[in-house]
Order: sequence, then C-alpha cells, then structure tokens
Amino acid sequence: MNMHAQPQRTLAETALIDAFGERLSLLPGDGEVMLKRDDAIEAIKHGLPTRRVESWHYTDLRRLLTSVPAFEADSAVKALAPILEGSAVLPVLNGVSNAKLREVEGVTVQRLSEKLTDGSVAPGLDSYGADDAIGALNTAFVADGYFVDIADGAELEKPIELQNLQAGGQAHVRLLTRVGAGASAVIVERQSGEGAALVSSVSQLVVGDGAKVTWLIVQEQPDAATHLAQFKAHIGKDAKLTLFVMNAGGKLVRQEVVVRTTGEGADFKLRGINLLAGDTHTDTTMVLDHAVPHTTSTEVIRNVVTGKARGVFQGRINVHQYAQKTNAKMACNTLLLSDDGEFSTKPELEIFADDVVCGHGATVTEIDHNHLFYLMARGIDEKAARGLLVKAFVAEVIEELDDEALVEALEARLDGWFSTHG
Amino acid sequence: MPAVQETIDRVRKIDVDQYKYGFQTEIEMDKAPKGLSEDIIRFISAKKDEPDWMLEWRLGAYRRWLTLEEPTWARVHYPKIDFQDIYYYAAPKSTPGPKSLSEVDPELLKVYEKLGIPLKEQEILAGVQKAGAADADEEVGDNVYKSGRVAVDAVFDSVSVVTTFKEELAKAGVIFCSISEAIREHPELVQKYLGSVVPTSDNFYATLNSAVFTDGSFVFVPKGVRCPMELSTYFRINEKNTGQFERTLIIAEEGAYVSYLEGCTAPQRDENQLHAAVVELIALDDAEIKYSTVQNWYPGDAEGKGGIYNFVTKRGDCRGDRSKISWTQVETGSAITWKYPSCILRGDDSSGEFYSIAVSNGYQQVDSGTKMIHLGKNTSSRIISKGIAAGFSQNTYRGQVSAHRKATNARNFTNCDSLLIGDQCGAHTEPYMEAKNATAKFEHEATTSKISEDQKFYVMQRGIPEEEAIALIVNGFVKDVIQQLPMEFAVEAQKLIGISLEGSVG
Repeated sequence: MNMHAQPQRTLAETALIDAFGERLSLLPGDGEVMLKRDDAIEAIKHGLPTRRVESWHYTDLRRLLTSVPAFEADSAVKALAPILEGSAVLPVLNGVSNAKLREVEGVTVQRLSEKLTDGSVAPGLDSYGADDAIGALNTAFVADGYFVDIADGAELEKPIELQNLQAGGQAHVRLLTRVGAGASAVIVERQSGEGAALVSSVSQLVVGDGAKVTWLIVQEQPDAATHLAQFKAHIGKDAKLTLFVMNAGGKLVRQEVVVRTTGEGADFKLRGINLLAGDTHTDTTMVLDHAVPHTTSTEVIRNVVTGKARGVFQGRINVHQYAQKTNAKMACNTLLLSDDGEFSTKPELEIFADDVVCGHGATVTEIDHNHLFYLMARGIDEKAARGLLVKAFVAEVIEELDDEALVEALEARLDGWFSTHG
Repeated sequence: MPAVQETIDRVRKIDVDQYKYGFQTEIEMDKAPKGLSEDIIRFISAKKDEPDWMLEWRLGAYRRWLTLEEPTWARVHYPKIDFQDIYYYAAPKSTPGPKSLSEVDPELLKVYEKLGIPLKEQEILAGVQKAGAADADEEVGDNVYKSGRVAVDAVFDSVSVVTTFKEELAKAGVIFCSISEAIREHPELVQKYLGSVVPTSDNFYATLNSAVFTDGSFVFVPKGVRCPMELSTYFRINEKNTGQFERTLIIAEEGAYVSYLEGCTAPQRDENQLHAAVVELIALDDAEIKYSTVQNWYPGDAEGKGGIYNFVTKRGDCRGDRSKISWTQVETGSAITWKYPSCILRGDDSSGEFYSIAVSNGYQQVDSGTKMIHLGKNTSSRIISKGIAAGFSQNTYRGQVSAHRKATNARNFTNCDSLLIGDQCGAHTEPYMEAKNATAKFEHEATTSKISEDQKFYVMQRGIPEEEAIALIVNGFVKDVIQQLPMEFAVEAQKLIGISLEGSVG
C-alpha cells in the first residue's frame, strides 16, 4: 500500500545496486541461485527499510547506512584462536572459506561456494518476508561460507567454531548447519575483524528431532564496522536449542533471530547480552514462532548502555492457533548508564491459541542506589562498585549456561570488554 | 455479591447477538447531502452559526486531510471506507439548544428512556428540573463534590440536544455546554485551546474530525474550582449512514478538578457506521482531569455484519506542573476500535494514568492502548490494561512509553494482561518503550493466559454453573480497572462485561 513515489536512492542503495551489476559474473551459483539473487536485488531496488517499516522502526537502515565500502578487503586476516580450547575452527577470512577441511568424526563440512555452484542451497535463499532486508542483501551477494552437517546421533566432544573475520571491504557469508536427530553439539559463531567493513552474515540451523544444540554468537566487530546478521533456526520434536548472543562491538549492528518450533516438545532458550559503548547502534530483533503444540521457550536479554550508544530489542512471540500448551516467557532488562545513551524495546506477543501461558517483562533503569550504597559502605569506591554491579547484571545470564568451560570463556570476553570500556 | 448475581441473570437472558440498544428511533432529521466537500463544511459551519475563524480552521483541516492517507498499521481489517457515502451532518429537527427538557422532542426522550442502563442519564434527565431546584444551593457554593449527581450533555447523531444542571454548574464557575455553543459564547477559550493538543494535522481521522466535527462537549473548570458533580456526555448514532464526529474539549485551570464520563450506543444496522471523535484534555498547574469512557457501540451481529467503526483520537496534555490526567475506559462495543488515549507529561511532577478493559467477542477487532510521553522532570505514569478476547475476535494492546532527554526521573509502570476464551480468538500486545534518559525507570509486564482450570474448578465445585463461574472470574480479572470508575458506573460496567461475554463459553 505504498502510494508514495519512490524517493531518490541513497548513496548506499546506489552503491549496492551498482556493485551487484559489477560483481554478478563473479558470484557463484547455478541458474536457480541466480534467479534468487535477482529477486533479492529487486527488493533492494525498492529501497532499504525505513522506520516506517514496522520491524525496522528503531533502526532506520536507509538513514543509518550512510556509505558502503568497496568489495576488496583492506588487509589480510588470520584465523583466531578459538574461544573454547580444542574447538575445530572453520574460518571465513575476508569472505573466503579457508579451512583445511580435516575430519571430525560425525561431521561433514563443505564450502558454501560449492553448494551455491551446484545449486543445492537455492531453496534456502528465500527471504522470510517483505521486510527481510538482511536476507535480501545476503542472498544477492553471498559468495561463501560453510555447510556443516552433523550426523544423526553424533555427540560431538569438541565444539565447532565458525569464524567470520573481515578486514574492511565487504563480506556476505552464509553458515548452514544441520544437526541430525539425537545429535548434540556446541557451536560458536564468531564475528570479528578490523576496519570499516560491511558484513552480512546469515546462519541457518536445522535442529533434528531429539537433538541438543548450544549455539553461541560472539560479535566483537571493530567500532567502525557495519554488521547485519541473521540467525534462523527450526527446532524439531523434543529438540533443544540454546542460543547465546553477545554483542560487544560494531558501529551499526542488527542481529536478527528467527526461530520456529516445528516439532512437539521443542524447547528454545535465548540468552543475550548487549554491551553498548561509543556511538554504536545495536539492534537485536527476535521473531519466534510457536507453530506446534507443547513447545516452550524463554528469552532473557540484558543490556548495558554507555556513552552515546543506542540499543534496540524487539522480540515477537507468535503463538499459532494450533500451538496449544505453549509456554513462552521473555524478559528484557536494560541498565542505562549515560544520559546520552538510549534504549528502545518492543516486546510483542501475538497469540492465537487460548491454552497457553505467555508473558513478557521489560525494564529500563539505572543502577540501584541502594545496591551502590551497600557496596560503598563496605569501603569499595564508587567506580569499582558500579563496575561490580554492572558485571553482575550481565554475568547472571552467562551463569545460566550449565557448561563450565562456556561460562569461563564468556566471562573472559566480558572482562575484556569491561577493561576497555569500564 | 448482588452485582455478580445481576450479571449472571442478565447473561442468562440475552443471546449473543442481541444488542440491547439496537432499536432505532423515527425522528425527523435535518440532514446535509451525502459526501464531503468544502461546501458541506461551509454548510455545517453555517448551520452552527460559527464565526469565520472556525470555518477557516475547518477548511484548513479539510485541505490537509485531502493530502493524507488512511493509516494501515493497526491490527484491524475492514473494507475500504467510502468517505463520500456518509452523511456528515444529521440533526434531529428540534429547537437547537433546548433550555429545558420540555423543549426536547418527546421521541428523543423515549430514546433515552430505552437506553436506560448502563448509564443513569435517563433517570437524571427525567429529574432534571426537580433536582436542579432542590439541591442547587446547598453543596455547590462550597465546592463540595457530591457523588450521585451527574450533569449530562446528550449528543444525538451530530448535535448536542440537551445539557442538564447547567445553571448549577455556572454558579461554581464551571462551563459545561456543547462545543457549538462554546464556539459562539466563549470563542476566546475555544480559540486558545482547540487543536492545541491534537493539531489539525495530527492523523487521518483527527484531521477529518477537525474538518467536519458537528458537536461534542466543552468543559471549562476555572482556577481552584473542584467541579461539584460528575459530568457526563451521552453519544448516540441513530441515523443511517451517518458519521458521528464529535469533538470534546476539557480544560482544567490551575488547581481545578473535574471527573467526566462518556457513554456511547448506536442502533443495530447491517452497514458499518463511522465514528471518528477527537478528545482534547488540558490540565494546567495542579489540575486533575479524570476521564472515563463506557463504550458500548453496536458491535455487529454474530456473523460480524454491521457495527460501528470507532476511530478515535484522545489525548491529554499535562501542561502544568503537578497536573494529573487519568483515563479509564471500558470498551465492550464497536466492530472495530482504534483508540489510544494518551498523556503528554509536559509539566514537571505531572502524572498520567491509563486504566483499560477491552472486551471483544464475535468478530470484533480491538486495537487500543495508550501513549505516555514523558517530557517534564519527575513525571510518572501508570498503565493497567486488561484485554479479554472471546469468539472470533482479535484484541490488541498497543502502547508507547517514552522518556525524552530532559525527562529526568521519569517513572512508568505498565501491566497488560490478556485473557483468552476459546481457541478462535487472538490476543496481542505490542508495547513500545523508549528511554533516552539514564534516570528513567520503566517497568513493563504482560501476560496472556486462559482462565485457569483450577480457578474454574474451585468456583464450579461450589455449585456455580460454568458460564457464571467465568463471569465471576472475569470480573475478578478486571477489578483493578473497575475500581477506577466513578462508583455509579462501576456496577453497570461490570454488567456490561458479563453481557459482552455471553455465548463465549462451550
């Protein structure tokens, strides 16, 4: 129903459209993949989303994406040491899958560029709605990434770490993972780099029946980077997915989480911490569909806002008409520590079934003065006391992960952030 | 608990699509031709003997409206409205602005007789002369608030037909009259405040209203006066294909207090009728305005045919320091409700409240909520919303709480609970929270559930049938809001909820 004439294209829109024309011949993919790419660039030609598009209400991408860097990276990057010791590392360096694909038992790894060339991933390239700008951008330009297949029943002893590292320029990466029935795995998705890169990264995960997956997204982009990411998952019957998202960097960041329970007994947990400093604009947007009966979910997001940072959390829980006995709870708590910072939140419940228990809570506040007083009365100076309270506020979410190695690794990342921004 | 018993009795008697106020009255009407144009606006303005500035204001709004698009963001679906197929002016042919009830068309009085409940206007309308003569002197002089007496302004289709207790109010310095009368008699006040909260450019329906509004109520409570009685307006759409566009303007000067209630009904018709009102409240320093609504427009029949489209813009401006505006609404009617009574907390230490019960049954669609815009220092707001969805209805809470940069110590508490009865309906919450100040403290909680089996079992086990048990539990669910209503109306509101939910069980 957009009756307005399309306004003039922004510099960023023009740059993307031009780049598509120039790069088309270099992008891998068979006919079907190319058709999807064409559809995707058409969507971008209609303009990047503005705040008038409801799901982008607080992140006016058209206004915020002021420029688009050239495709070429500024410098070479090297794979990082994994967060969890002993992980099998699968790096994408400056947009190119770079692993020596060594054997891990029960795991098959393929380069996505190959899967694009043979067209086997084409069906997964569809966007999930008219407002799926990240999906469209990624589909248009995606050139590489990984396809990871974990066999039915495989219980991985070592975690897998997917790294997407970009030093300037642009990268459009897709990470596809299938976890077979009854399998269990810990997967780390690491997003980092140097300079003012534009990165789009789409992770797609299918959790098979009865499987158990812990997925960690650790986003530590440099202050100048634009990071547009999507995590999409389907959770099968009696399967469990725990997703942990940590945003601690980037200039313009949007992390979308799109999850659907597809089998009875599926359980989804989302735990997120957003550590926002400088003048970052960081948006976490979740759309969770409870599509079948008897599924459960809990989401807890904790945000710390300092400096001139702007934070956004949008969380929508859809309970479909037949999804009786759904149990869904969502909480978003924010510590707003600076007068120049801002945080906007929009937790939505959309419920079409009656026999459900759903709730959400959201708070925004500063540090509790009583708590501060309690600590300072015990001889701790104000700065240290504040630091302690803020850390405790976010660490609470980490401690919920019942895996000691994970908790320790994440707390180390947290300490790292506090030592530079505290 | 006799009130509950009455609810139950009433529920038993009435079928799902038997809308109690669905009669229509054959009264000679004075109508403008269908459709909307500058000429129609001139016609309305001339009919109302309006000064030139008012006509210009309307025309300005109309020209603005032509450039606007109908909003589509709300979770409501309806066929496109043909704005040229509506009568924008329909008035009963009686002497305009009757001074006493004897001048009112007896047919009209019968209408109010039939309306009876949920409000007590009819009773009071009938007793207007008696009551006015007997009690006028004793309480009013001291500004003592006397509960149980209500001054009423009744709006029938497009015009205000009668206002009661006028003289008594005048003694206290309170002006309570139709807005048309206010435009003629108090132009300086109207000019100063009209459109200052909801400007003519505000939104599609508010702009349309600004161009074509035909009547509504005007309340002015001067400095330091506590309005001696409840004020109330009764809106009724009667004529076929008419839009009702009323405009209400309430001003409470420094330290004043007023409590105002509006009630709405319409006859049963197959077509949809449009109701697009604008309400503006202005509270100066230390003033308090309490605005309650019992909305019971015709909701359409059991198949979702007919009913009122209720597209209303209501906004209060806490302009002065320490001012307070409180909205309470009981929404049981209308095919579609699109309504967000809001507070702009401009003055330091000002506060806003929103209490809402929205009941939807049949094919009703409700998209309602509030906005609390914190601008001043130390402002606080509270939102309690209870949504009950049954049948095939969709019930959405949509609200916004925002603290601007300079709104230090802004405080908000929001609670919105939804109750689902049946598996064909939907309940949705879409709250927006925006904090731009570190000292802001916002809390929001929302829950959605059905009536718990345990609760139902507990009540039924005591020999109460299922339907009555549900009425009892629902009334408990909404108690927090019912308590905010003026006492006279709380009981009626409870009954109304019972009636609205009839047929939703089983």
